[in-house]
Amino acid sequence: MPKLIIDDIPVEVAPGTSVLEAARSVGITIPHFCYHPALAIAAACRLCAVKLLDGPVKGIQMSCALPAQDGMVVSTTDPEALKMRALVIEWLMLNHPHDCPVCDEGGECLLQDFTIAGGHSRRRYQGKKRTFQNQYLGEGIHHEMNRCIECYRCVRFYRDYAGGTDFGVMGSAGRVYFGRFQEGPLESPFSGNLVDICPTGVFTDKTGRFRARYWDYQFAPSICQHCSVGCNTSPQNFQRETIKIVGRRNDQVNGWFICDRARFDKSYLNDPQRPREPRLDGATCGYDVAVDAAAKSIAEFVRKNGADKLALVGSTRLSLEGMILLAQLAEVAGGAKVCYFDDAGQQQGSLAAAKLLHEENAAYVKDIEQAQWISLHALDLMEEGPMLALAVRKAFLAGAQIFLVAGDMLPAMKVLPFKYTAVETLDQVPFEGGGKGVIICGAGSKDPDLLAEMASSGAKLVMLQPGPNGFAAALLAQQHAAVPLAELVAARQVQGVVCFEADVPEMLLSDLEVLANADWRRGAVEAKAPIFLPTTTWAESDGTAINYEGRAQRFERSRVAGLPLKGLDPKYYGSATEAVSLHPPRVHRKDVPGGAERDAWQVMAQLIERLGGEALEPFSGKWRALRNLDPEGEGVRIFEMGLGE
Amino acid sequence: MIPETLKTSLQARVASAITAREAAVDVMKELQAHYGWLTDEAVQEAAALLGLSPLQVEELATFYEMIYRRPVGKKVIHVCDSISCWCADCDKIIQYLKDKLGVGLGGTTADGMFTLVPCCCMGMCGDSPAMSVGGVPYGRLTPELVDEILEAERHKP
Amino acid sequence: MDLPLFRHNRPNRVVTFDEYREEGGFEGLKKAFSGMSPNDVQQAVLDSGLRGRGGAGFATGRKWSFVPRDLPGPRWLICNCDEMEPGTYKDRVLLEHNPYSLIEGMTLACYALGVRHAFIFIRKGYEKAAANLARGIEEAKKAGLLGEHILGSEHSIELDLHLSAGRYICGEETALINALEGKRPNPRSKPPFPAVKGLWQGPTVVNNVETLANVPAIVANGAAWFKGLALNPEGAGSKLFCVSGSVKNRACIELPIGTTLGDIIDGACGGMRDGKKFKACIPGGASTQFLKPEHWNLPMDYDTVVKAGSRLGSGGIIVFDEGHCLVEATLNLINFFARESCGWCTPCREGLPYVKEILTRIENGRGEEDDITILREHVKYLNYTFCALAPGAMAPLDGLLRDFEDEVREHIVKKKCPLK
Repeated sequence: MPKLIIDDIPVEVAPGTSVLEAARSVGITIPHFCYHPALAIAAACRLCAVKLLDGPVKGIQMSCALPAQDGMVVSTTDPEALKMRALVIEWLMLNHPHDCPVCDEGGECLLQDFTIAGGHSRRRYQGKKRTFQNQYLGEGIHHEMNRCIECYRCVRFYRDYAGGTDFGVMGSAGRVYFGRFQEGPLESPFSGNLVDICPTGVFTDKTGRFRARYWDYQFAPSICQHCSVGCNTSPQNFQRETIKIVGRRNDQVNGWFICDRARFDKSYLNDPQRPREPRLDGATCGYDVAVDAAAKSIAEFVRKNGADKLALVGSTRLSLEGMILLAQLAEVAGGAKVCYFDDAGQQQGSLAAAKLLHEENAAYVKDIEQAQWISLHALDLMEEGPMLALAVRKAFLAGAQIFLVAGDMLPAMKVLPFKYTAVETLDQVPFEGGGKGVIICGAGSKDPDLLAEMASSGAKLVMLQPGPNGFAAALLAQQHAAVPLAELVAARQVQGVVCFEADVPEMLLSDLEVLANADWRRGAVEAKAPIFLPTTTWAESDGTAINYEGRAQRFERSRVAGLPLKGLDPKYYGSATEAVSLHPPRVHRKDVPGGAERDAWQVMAQLIERLGGEALEPFSGKWRALRNLDPEGEGVRIFEMGLGE
Repeated sequence: MIPETLKTSLQARVASAITAREAAVDVMKELQAHYGWLTDEAVQEAAALLGLSPLQVEELATFYEMIYRRPVGKKVIHVCDSISCWCADCDKIIQYLKDKLGVGLGGTTADGMFTLVPCCCMGMCGDSPAMSVGGVPYGRLTPELVDEILEAERHKP
Repeated sequence: MDLPLFRHNRPNRVVTFDEYREEGGFEGLKKAFSGMSPNDVQQAVLDSGLRGRGGAGFATGRKWSFVPRDLPGPRWLICNCDEMEPGTYKDRVLLEHNPYSLIEGMTLACYALGVRHAFIFIRKGYEKAAANLARGIEEAKKAGLLGEHILGSEHSIELDLHLSAGRYICGEETALINALEGKRPNPRSKPPFPAVKGLWQGPTVVNNVETLANVPAIVANGAAWFKGLALNPEGAGSKLFCVSGSVKNRACIELPIGTTLGDIIDGACGGMRDGKKFKACIPGGASTQFLKPEHWNLPMDYDTVVKAGSRLGSGGIIVFDEGHCLVEATLNLINFFARESCGWCTPCREGLPYVKEILTRIENGRGEEDDITILREHVKYLNYTFCALAPGAMAPLDGLLRDFEDEVREHIVKKKCPLK
C-alpha cells in the first residue's frame, strides 16, 4: 500500500492507484479532460499536471498516468504545475470557438469549468481558429467538431469500450477529426454515451437541445424501466417535461453508461396524448369521484359474482410498492384473485428464475466482466439487456470465451460487440469445472427444467426477466400463489378484472368485464374500462424495482406530474367563458394542468380505504428492510435481506 | 471495381500478414496505384480485403502523408520545404513550380497531369533543393532542370 | 582508414553480394555461428560502446539487455529506417550503396536476441533502398545466410520489409510499432517499454539502420577494435555524418567518432560554400540545438556535444552562413514539427502551431516584446508532452533564444527581418 503526501495530506492507496485518483480520494480534484475512470489512460490532454517535490519521481508529471508510490511528495498547487495547466487551457482555447452562449453543453461543460478555474481570460494567440465541417450522426446526437479539444474520450469509449467500428479518429496533427467515414446515424446502440463522456459540446443530445440549462433542470436519481438490468439514470426535467436522460454511475449495475434506449426512448413520458384525466363512463371527472366509483364497482361486482370471480391484474412494470398493495387490495376485496403476469409462459420462466437464483449463483455485472467463459442462451442480448453486452465485451477483451447456445430458436441477433462461437446445445460449451463461467439467458417463456439444468451447471447465472420489474413480480406471484390471467381466463375462473399498469391483450379481455383501469398509457384495457384512473410514470413517482439479479433499487420522483409547459393547450390558460380573450388573461388555477395523476400504489391504497380496509405501508412485514433503501446507493440484493424465499 | 488479378494478389498479401491489419498500408498503396488516389470506393474495398470497417481504413488513410484521399493529377509533385532545402532556396523552386504549372500548393494542373504539394524532408538533403515526381526523386533543382524534368515526366508513362 | 560502414561502397552503384563477401562481408555472421553464443554477441556489442545512431544515442548493448530472456512467445527486432529527421539522409546513402551490412547486422542481432522474425520499417521515398534490401535478402537466403537453418545451424531467421506511407512520427519507436501493426501511429505510453511489451505485445527491440549495420564489423573484429576507431578516448566507432546547407560539398561521409566539427566542414566538405562565413549549424538533425563558431574544434561525440549544449543526434549537420536568418530557419523547423505532430497530446498539437504563428509574425516584422516570453514558456513546457517530438522541436528554438536572442530582438525592434 503506497503511502504518499499530496498537498501536505498523507494518503495511502491501493497499489496501482494513480496520483490523480489518490488525490481524489482525499477530496482534491486535479483538473483533467482525457482521464475518465471507465476508460484506459490516455495521458493526452496533459491538464492533470502536478509537481513532484520529492520521492522516486521528480518534477512535472501527469498525475493520471503516474502510479502512486511510497515517498512521493506531490504538489497540485506548485506554480510550475499551475503554469503548465494554464498553458494547456490556453492551447485548447486557441481553437475552441468560445460559443458557450449557443452551446447546449454550457453550464455542464468541463472545459468551461476548468477554463474559468485556471484563470485563462486573455487571448495572446493572434492566429486564426481552425474550423471543421460537422457530420450528420443520426437523430440522437448533434456533432459540433469546432468545439473539440481532442481528449480522445469519445473514441476510447465508442471504439474501445463499446466495440463500435463506424466512428473513430481521422487525420493527424491539428487536423484530427472525430467522426464517421461518411455521414450517417451512429450504429452503436451505446452511442448516446458520447453526450455524457464528451467534456465539452462536441456531442450534444439532439433530442433535447436548447431547451434548458443545467441549473434549470429538476432531476433525481432514477432507474431505467426499459429492461430488467435496472441501469441507473438521471432524468433531466424542465417545466414538467423530461428533456434528457443521462447515465448515473452504479458500479454494481451499469458502471458509468446506459444504452440508447434508456437515453433516447423518452417521448412517451412527455406525450401530450397520455391519458391524464380521470374518467367515468367516458367523461372527465375528479380523481376522488373516479376512485369512489371504482371502489363501488368492485364492491358491487364482488357482491354479485363473488370475490373469486374478480382478478386484480398488475404487471412487470408496476413498482414493487404497487405489487405489494395489489395483494392487500385483493384481500380487502374479499379474496379476489391477483395476477402479476397475463402470459402463462412468462410467469413460469420468471418464477423459475426467481426460485433458482440465490446469493451465490446470481451473477451481477462484475461477475460477467471477470468471467472466463460466458454462454449466451438463445437470447437477443441487445434487446433483453443491452448493457450486459458491454460487460460481456469486457470479459471477451480480457480473454474470456463466449458461446452462443442457439438451440433451435436463434433469435435475430443484432451485432454484438464481441466475437462468439455458436454451438447447438449447452453440452457443447466446454465448461471447465471450477472455472468462472456465466450463463446468460432470458427467463420469460423458458422451460423451468431448462433453467434448472443451467443452474446445475455450477456457472453463475444471469436470467433476464421479461420486464423491468419482473423479478419482483415473480416474488409476489410466488408469495400469493398468483395464477397468470391467461390461465384464469382459459379456465373461466374470472369474470371481471381491475387492471393496474397492465398491458393485457385485447383477446384476453373479450369475455371479461373490465371494472376499472389505472395506467399512464393507452391500450386495450383503457379503451374498455368505464372507470379510468391516470397514474404517474416512473419519472414522476417514487418507487422500487428489483432487477434481474435480485437487486432492489429505489427511484425517486424526478418531476411533478402534469402536462409539459411546452405545447400546452390554450384551454389551460385561456378563458372558457369569454369569447374574446383578455390581456393579461384573468384565468386563475392552482392545480397543474394535466397533473391529476397519482402513483398506482396510492390509488390502490385509496381503494383499500374506500373498501373499508386499512392500507398498510407497502414495506411492512418481510419487506420492511427495503423501507430505507438509498436511491443514491448501489441497491441491495434481496437475498442478503432474506427476501428471496 | 478492381481487377480480379489485383484482388487476388492483395488477398494473398493480407493472408501472408501476421495480422490482416499489418497489410493495411500495402493494400492502400496498391489501390491508390490502381485508382490514382484512394477513392471512397477504394477505402471500402480495402476495408473488405482487410476485414475492417471503412472508418477503420479511413483512420489510417488520413494519417499518412502519401495516401491521397482527394483526386490528384496523373503524377504528384512533392517538393521538399524542410530545412536543408530551405538552405538551398527551395522557396524559389516552389515559386517557380507554382508559376510554371499555374497552380497553388495542393492544386492540380488544368490538364490533370500534375498535382503540386509541399512535403517534409525527403532525405535528399545532400542534393537539395529536391522534389519527387510520381515517386521519382530529383535533386539539385534549378529552374532549367525543373523544366527538363517536367517535360520528360510528362511523356513518361 | 578501414571504417566499417562505407568501406564496401562503390562510387555510383550498389555493391554486389559477391563483392561484399569478397571484402570480408558475412565474416561476422560466420564467426558468430561457429562458436559464439548469443550472449557472446550481445556482450561484444555491449563492450564495443556502440550507441544508437538514430538520434538518442542510447547504448545498444544495454537496450538489448532489457529484453527479458524468459518470456514465452515470439520476440521481435525492428530496424527503424523511417529516416525523416530533416537534414538526415545517412541511412538512405548507406542502403543505396550497401544493403548487406544491415542484413548481416540484423541477422546477428536476431541471433543475439533470440528473434526469429524481424522487420525493416522503411519510409516512403526510399524505394531504391527497399529494392536493394529486397534483393539482398533473397541473395542472403540463397546463400544460406538468412532464412531457414542459417549456415546449417538450427537457427532460422526471417526478415521482412514494411514500406510506410510517410509520417515523421513513425520513427518514434512505439509509434513505429503501432504503424507496423496497422494501427494509427500514435506513440504508446511507456512503461511498458517495447523491450518488454512491443510488437503484438511481445518483447521488441527497435534499432536504427546505421546502428545495426555496425554490428557485423564489431563481431568480426572485436569490441576493442571498434572502440579504437574513435578519435577521442570516450568514443567508439565511426559515425555517418550527412552534411547539408552552406558547405562546398554536401555529402554523407563516414568519419571516426570524435572528428571535430571544423574537420568535417573544412575537410570532408571542402569548406564553406562561396566563401561564406560559418554562422551556426545544427549538428544532429532538426531536433538539436545550434552549434556556433566557438564549437569549431568540438569533437563530434555524444557526450562532448551534449556538454556543448546540443546533441549529436542523427549526425545530420545543417550548416548556416551569415546570410541565413535563424529566426526563419527555426520557423522552418517548427513548421515541420507542427505538420508532423500526430495530434495525440495537447502541447504538441496546439503548442507547435502557436510557436509557428509567433515566429511567423516576428519574421514578418510583426513581433512583439511579449512574444519572447511566450516562446520561452513553450521551450519549457513543451517538454511535458506524451513523446519526444515536441521537446525535440523545442531544441532549435531553445538554441535560438539562448544563442541568438539579439537577432530575434532585432526583428522585433526593427519590425522586419534584418537580413531581408
